[in-house]
Amino acid sequence: MSTIALHDEHNHDHADHGHHKETLISKYIFSMDHKMIAKQFLITGIIMAVIAMGLSILFRIQLAWPDQNFPFLETFLGKWAEGGRIKPDFYLALVTIHGTIMVFFVLTAGLSGTFSNLLIPLQIGARDMASPFLNMLSYWFFFTACVIMMSSFFIQTGPASGGWTVYPPLSVVAKAMPGSGMGMTLWLISMVLFVASSLMGGINYVSTILNMRTKGMDLWKMPLPIWAFFLTAILGILSFPVLVAGVVLMVFDRSFGTSFYLSDIVMGTTILPNEGGSPILWQHLFWFLGHPEVYIVIMPALGISSEVISVNSRKPIFGYHAMVYSLIGITVLSFIVWGHHMFVTGMNPLLGGVFMITTLIIAVPSAVKTFNYLATLWRGNIRFTPAMLFAIGLVSFFISGGLTGIFLGNASLDINLHDTYFVVAHFHLVMGSAAIFGMLAGVYHWFPRMFGKMMNAKLGYLHFWLTFIAAYLVFFPLHFLGLDGVPRRYYAFTEFEFMKKWLTVNVFVTWAAIMAALAQVAFLFNFFYSIFKGKVAPQNPWEANTLEWTAPVEHIHGNWPGEIPTVYRWPYDYSKPGHDEDFIPQTVPFSQTMSSNLPHDFEGNAEAEKIQQDWELANPVEENKG
Amino acid sequence: MVLTMEKIQDTFDPKPRKFIVWLFVVSSTIMFGGFTSYYLVFAASKGKGHGLVLPDAFIYSSLVIIASSITLVLASKAMRKLNFSLQRNMLWLTVILAVAFGVMQFSAWSSMVKTGATLVGNNAAISFIYVVSGLHLLHIIGGVGLIINALVGSYKNISPAKSNYRMEIASIFWHFIDILWIYLYVFLLLNR
Repeated sequence: MSTIALHDEHNHDHADHGHHKETLISKYIFSMDHKMIAKQFLITGIIMAVIAMGLSILFRIQLAWPDQNFPFLETFLGKWAEGGRIKPDFYLALVTIHGTIMVFFVLTAGLSGTFSNLLIPLQIGARDMASPFLNMLSYWFFFTACVIMMSSFFIQTGPASGGWTVYPPLSVVAKAMPGSGMGMTLWLISMVLFVASSLMGGINYVSTILNMRTKGMDLWKMPLPIWAFFLTAILGILSFPVLVAGVVLMVFDRSFGTSFYLSDIVMGTTILPNEGGSPILWQHLFWFLGHPEVYIVIMPALGISSEVISVNSRKPIFGYHAMVYSLIGITVLSFIVWGHHMFVTGMNPLLGGVFMITTLIIAVPSAVKTFNYLATLWRGNIRFTPAMLFAIGLVSFFISGGLTGIFLGNASLDINLHDTYFVVAHFHLVMGSAAIFGMLAGVYHWFPRMFGKMMNAKLGYLHFWLTFIAAYLVFFPLHFLGLDGVPRRYYAFTEFEFMKKWLTVNVFVTWAAIMAALAQVAFLFNFFYSIFKGKVAPQNPWEANTLEWTAPVEHIHGNWPGEIPTVYRWPYDYSKPGHDEDFIPQTVPFSQTMSSNLPHDFEGNAEAEKIQQDWELANPVEENKG
Repeated sequence: MVLTMEKIQDTFDPKPRKFIVWLFVVSSTIMFGGFTSYYLVFAASKGKGHGLVLPDAFIYSSLVIIASSITLVLASKAMRKLNFSLQRNMLWLTVILAVAFGVMQFSAWSSMVKTGATLVGNNAAISFIYVVSGLHLLHIIGGVGLIINALVGSYKNISPAKSNYRMEIASIFWHFIDILWIYLYVFLLLNR
């Protein structure tokens, strides 16, 4: 007890576990417990997702019925929808903020923040993160970023509206459009806080995984979600700082009058004094982050579905090592493909060719992962839990969205498809659908671990089928608009002769989007109702092998009472021949499973192999009497 | 229950936290890598760099920051020999050198302004000098915070493990920003 005297010193060096009496504030608000922080990230992420989905419904209404008035819009939006019709400036703000929230706040912070925080300490056997304080700070930076981003809806000129990629000059010249003023400033402040939050989180995750694994948990015994979170965090650490560099230069351009990104700009009749900069340089800095960012979005979802599919197929994951190596491959490759976002910037064709090749190579690890999912499902003893359905849904979207990636990665095709609805369809299938489905799979699967309650399966099925069908109905038709050359972000299809024929498709897509949005009500009700009134969860509801299911259902600081369990085997011993149950948790030593051990289980340990051989001689396998 | 938890937490393990500092160093390196690659691409596409003779103050500040690293090494050595008063003196000296470094950076900027090479102008390469040296100075402020944290630790009666940890993270970070400045300075000298 020698530390007691030190507690009063308020030094942040100390891991504050379980010493202090928990108050409402320290438990629910400024919590340093990774499980509570995970819930904070999840609920904030869900709220942001609902908001961003609402924004998308607003602009879908505009796209479907550009000539009709909807008085209720004016009621909600006031002067931004005078006469019940959304204004062009506000339309652009809607698509910008929808993209920003979904990519960064939902699929980066909501996904990594929730599941990395929840699962890393629980699945590797640690009491908490390397720095619980930094972890808490990470959440509160994220929360502040969300508040600031939303506050831009309450200013006169409205939110940023130059697109989520905030290309200069729209993002730099404050007078360029209404959203380029205060709204853009708030966007930048919010993103700086967000990047700080991501870095604090990512650094913590990496340090925890490398330094705090329990006894026996070597890297090759880690569950696949942990591998995915680990590589995702590395991606974040290596790419977000470049965005910071770009944003700093942008802030200087906006606020101090430097010319990092500006040159030769004429507004109306006035010539701006800025000279010598280049807007293309922003695109380089942005996409050096931006491309790894899309893998930051999808990799945790892939990791989660690996686990969910294996558990619910009652089969070992097919190609565990191949899964890890393909994640590593994606991680490495994602840093050398950013140029494929810039094929039409006048890039040297040779350089474009290089980016094209690196981009297409990413199809290899992605395909390895896809086939491994399918091979895991193949002849499995499948349990169609809601989590499993969402994981299978991820595989489906990952295939259909991934295929169009091969089109877009080709420089010659991309010149036609760039900035059309084809791109919109592509990234909504892989990010907007696949990654969201991975996240939902995680929510359904680990809800019992988070809240100690079960979610209602029937509502889960309803949620899945409506969302799955609606998502395809929304995004599949958009490919054809893109092939026809319809550009994204256009306000009214009625203004262009060649786009008019797509109006009916837009009406269809909007109805499908409304159906998808309504389907989420089933989820939201299920989620919040089950937190309070759900059936109490058993210790290990899915009969899974990983460590988190050995921790008590009631949450305690430090995760396990007494010693942290030791790990003896990999996490995917499902349906192992010779064992009486179809799963063997990681904490079960081989000495207790003599009837199912295989020679390669002992990793070349001669003594253990000898013991196993002696046992097998003493206990010959009974002949099949059937 | 509470008792068992306390027992478990008794041991202070600095390793994961030290690792966090290293990871921060990595991400900061990447950020400055982003800046300098901006500069390289800019200079290559425009066929010009900043084109300045850098102010002498940058030479002096470089010497000062190298000296501050040396005093910090001496402080760590003194702590290992349990000579705490020498450790404190060396830490104070490091802080003073850090402040001197900051003053010299300001004087370098003001001499640049005098020659007409201002932050706002037609040459983004010149603005770039202000931005990177300014961001580096922000890192210096953070580093001084860590050194003061170590200093406070050595005055207060905290456990040797923690005191040692504070010294170590201060050293990792300070030597990093020292090397970072040398890199930036040499980079600016070589890419005129």
